[in-house]
Amino acid sequence: MKKGYRKERLDRGIKARTDDIFAICSPREIAYIALPRFIVIGALLMFPLLAVLTGIYWQNVLIITCTIALLALSWDLLASAGLVSLGQALFFGAGAYVTGFLSHHYGWPPILSVPAATVTGALLCTMLLYPVLRLRGIYFGLITFAMPLLMMRIVEATKILGGTEGLSGLAPLPGMKVELYVIITVTLVCVFGFRRLIDTDYGLVLRAIRDNDRAVMAGGINIQWYKTQAVFIAALPATFAGAFLTHHYQFVGMPAFALEYSILPLTSVIIGGTGSFAGAMLGAFILVPLSEVLRAFGTLRVVIYCLILLVFAIGLPEGIFHYIQRKYYQFERLVPVEEIKK
Amino acid sequence: MKKKAITFKFLALAILFLLMVTGCGSNDEASIDDVSTIVLGVPTALGSIEGADSLKAVELAVEEINNAGGVSVDGEKRPLEVVSIDTREHEPGLPVHDALAALEKMIVEKKPDAIVVGSFRSEVLLSAMDLIAKYKIPYICTIAMTPDFQKKVSESADYKYMFRMGLNSPYLVNYLSDTMAFINQKFDFNKVYIVTQDVLWAKGTGTGLEKWFQANGWDVVGFDSYPTGASDFSSTLGNARAGNAQVIVPIFDMPQSGILLKQARAMQVPALMAGFISPAASDSAWQTFEGEVEGLVNLVFEIGPIPLQAVPKSVEFNANYGKKYGEETLAKLSGHGPGPAYDSIYVLADAIERAGTLESEALVTALEGTDMDGVIGKIKFTNDHQVIYGLDPKETAIGAVFQWKTPGVRVPVFPEVAAEGEIELPPYIK
Amino acid sequence: MIETVLIYGLVNSVTLILTAIGFSLTFGLSGIANFSHGGLYILSGYSAWMMMHYIGLPFALAAVLTVIQVGILGGLIYRAVIMPVRGIVLSEVVATFAVGVAILEFFRWRGFVTYDFNLPLFIKGSIGIAGVFIDYQRLFIIGIGLMLAVILWFFTHHTRIGLALRGMAQDEYTALSLGIESDWAATLSMALGAALAAVAAIIILPLGIISINMGYDVLLLALAVTILGGLESTNGLIVGCFILGYARVITGTYLGPEWMEVIYLAAIVLVLVVKPSGLCGKSKELEERV
Repeated sequence: MKKGYRKERLDRGIKARTDDIFAICSPREIAYIALPRFIVIGALLMFPLLAVLTGIYWQNVLIITCTIALLALSWDLLASAGLVSLGQALFFGAGAYVTGFLSHHYGWPPILSVPAATVTGALLCTMLLYPVLRLRGIYFGLITFAMPLLMMRIVEATKILGGTEGLSGLAPLPGMKVELYVIITVTLVCVFGFRRLIDTDYGLVLRAIRDNDRAVMAGGINIQWYKTQAVFIAALPATFAGAFLTHHYQFVGMPAFALEYSILPLTSVIIGGTGSFAGAMLGAFILVPLSEVLRAFGTLRVVIYCLILLVFAIGLPEGIFHYIQRKYYQFERLVPVEEIKK
Repeated sequence: MKKKAITFKFLALAILFLLMVTGCGSNDEASIDDVSTIVLGVPTALGSIEGADSLKAVELAVEEINNAGGVSVDGEKRPLEVVSIDTREHEPGLPVHDALAALEKMIVEKKPDAIVVGSFRSEVLLSAMDLIAKYKIPYICTIAMTPDFQKKVSESADYKYMFRMGLNSPYLVNYLSDTMAFINQKFDFNKVYIVTQDVLWAKGTGTGLEKWFQANGWDVVGFDSYPTGASDFSSTLGNARAGNAQVIVPIFDMPQSGILLKQARAMQVPALMAGFISPAASDSAWQTFEGEVEGLVNLVFEIGPIPLQAVPKSVEFNANYGKKYGEETLAKLSGHGPGPAYDSIYVLADAIERAGTLESEALVTALEGTDMDGVIGKIKFTNDHQVIYGLDPKETAIGAVFQWKTPGVRVPVFPEVAAEGEIELPPYIK
Repeated sequence: MIETVLIYGLVNSVTLILTAIGFSLTFGLSGIANFSHGGLYILSGYSAWMMMHYIGLPFALAAVLTVIQVGILGGLIYRAVIMPVRGIVLSEVVATFAVGVAILEFFRWRGFVTYDFNLPLFIKGSIGIAGVFIDYQRLFIIGIGLMLAVILWFFTHHTRIGLALRGMAQDEYTALSLGIESDWAATLSMALGAALAAVAAIIILPLGIISINMGYDVLLLALAVTILGGLESTNGLIVGCFILGYARVITGTYLGPEWMEVIYLAAIVLVLVVKPSGLCGKSKELEERV
């Protein structure tokens, strides 16, 4: 940077204008607001139609990507209420096991068992986490870290739900196209739904709990009840992801509580940026395909993957989404620094 | 400072794009279908000892066949080509879907004509079966051992593409129980302690053995199973000592089971260890454990990694493996996997030549009719696509029980046809 | 029976102390949750092995060099990886975890997976105490582990540097105003923690074979006992280790080893629910819950 100058950031004119309701008069301004959203929606909805170009393999990757994105979204909503979770695998595993149980023992078709597992799994998780909702910060994180590991060991020791063998040969989903559209729709609904939710008065309370819980309590609001609701809502996409992937691979077992389901969403959010939901999704859409591309490197893959993660975590701590958003909304220029006269 | 941050960001983005580009590049390369070679896929846990050694054995067999001119398909000689992918299944925290994604990537991109070695973990094998049923590719697995595999094959014709040449748990139980009967006859031992790793195949083997022991008048002092990664075995060893167990049957394939071995000696438990401990199966174990494996009766699941005079091909295999990879690598050869992995290539080549085509339906029929002599003995499949293991290498495939004796040699002691020595009590028991 | 439980419970407890003390020290002194602890532990094992087998150094020398080298590496990790994101707890955790996994997976890639990697015992053989046989190596573990715990307690409570470091952990701004430099303190605490991981590796690994997956287990164990005992308290760590160590051996002997993991995870959850700062932690009581 030139000496004697500093950088200044200002909102672009179009950004300032579109903040206002009158923006809808001009097509250019409408496009400025709507295009980024429509490009994402369009690209995702187009993807399944391009099967010839992408191949089955990348469609499969898209399913896993959406699964991780759902887990990351769930993480982001919890974090918005001040609950930092290190154990998304708990939600994933709960959804996976409930649907596995329903399908294996009662022979429910996926169209019934997936929604049932989504709701029941979320309820179960809420009940499990209810006693520890009073905890704050890193303490809540550590307990959620231990929970999925504990569940895994309990399944292993008590041999319920198939024990170490798991339940295999569950009912399959109807077909690739249907699967893709179902999970893409759910992901999009979650992203935009959560973004809207967090901007409502209800979301305001959640964010206030994160920023200053005592002030919220002083306002006569039962934060315990709000946190409980937040956990339930946040658990829904994650349990759905678990239930969906279980039917996709027709198998559920102890690895449903695996550490990767806790780490991948977390790193997605780190890469994408917290608090905006779009960042969480963007992170997952970079991370998962990247790790697939790295498969070509064999065992070295994980090493490279970690190094990239490091570069992102250190070099861009705010997350890619916030970086892009800033560039989209603001411009930078150099202004001379005024000398302080002695 | 600011400048540095910007460079960082650019670096990050540059790396990302670079990787995307190289990734896509390798994609295109793979889609060029080379018709002249026969592609064999090896999707397994290459980071594990069994997986890595199996791949080496496969490459050895492929090299031998290619040097001899390749496999003739419909009168045309075609060379074999191996493609491998790492499924990382041996890492305990890895979700099943990740391993399956690797398998599917290989199938769609490399379009293998057949798959060998295959899954490492039992649950991955079981869930991979549905995938294979979808793509209809002949699949010969040699590592995962669950008996549920055969149950699935016999239940539905969709799974007919799957074969298994490795040992399965029931056969392992047979070998161990036969060895125990042998020990009982010889030393009049009848108090036993079973200790296994808490995974599907090991636990299943332990339970099967327990039933056999109870049916045959043994006194089972205890039956413990340790989670993978456990590193202290004092409770089991203490119980075994207190219960005066004469034989301890360990069934483990995790590296930490080496601790069990050393700890048993340290706690001076006066019992004969006879079972399966993977770190003590290879020839180099004597050196690694500084002689503390003495007296251990261990199992080589499928012969191949141990040369048996009774099976000339196994001696030949050891010599060739040593020539290709060096004596040191030979000494570390894993006790489970390499033998059948090597043979599976010859079985496939034979089936392809008999079928005269690479078309999977015909190939499966040809594979079902396999009858040949290999490194592991006589190779024949049952109706549920499992190679038969028994006690005579002239009639079936065999595994071998050996005992570690000074000065660091593995002496085959069972089955009797192949035995080159006798089970002896180590000095610390007398 | 009861003698076995008593003696091996002690061995287990002290092994836990050794594996966790580096992690706990770093956290107690600078508030960094060093998730690369497991990676450093395994790195130490392999590095000592490589020095012995590739360069031919005697074990004692290789051990000392390893401890020094891993200590320096710990300091470097702070300077290169943690310093840029210091204060963002989540990024700290992710960054150190990435370092740890990168180390572990690097060794996997280089083929360090066979069963040939082990460190020699200090002295071979075993003796009987009250009818229970125990080997000299485990006696060493007990001795060195307890000694280290005492030395560290003395260091953090009665030396100038130790007190300065603890001051930093308790209130950064006040410590800064008293002339304690934050980055220097944190670098030192990381270096110390890493060196302790190396010491633990060199004493414990000779019991068996070095394997990469142990790195992940070590991290989990270290997390478990520090949570149980209190994140920043040395006494708490020791109490936590003894509870878990004995709980594991007792459940292993009387209930069956498959219950060992359940018991200790359940203990952690229970303690966190009842007293989140751990059995002996008290410095953050106001911040931990509402």
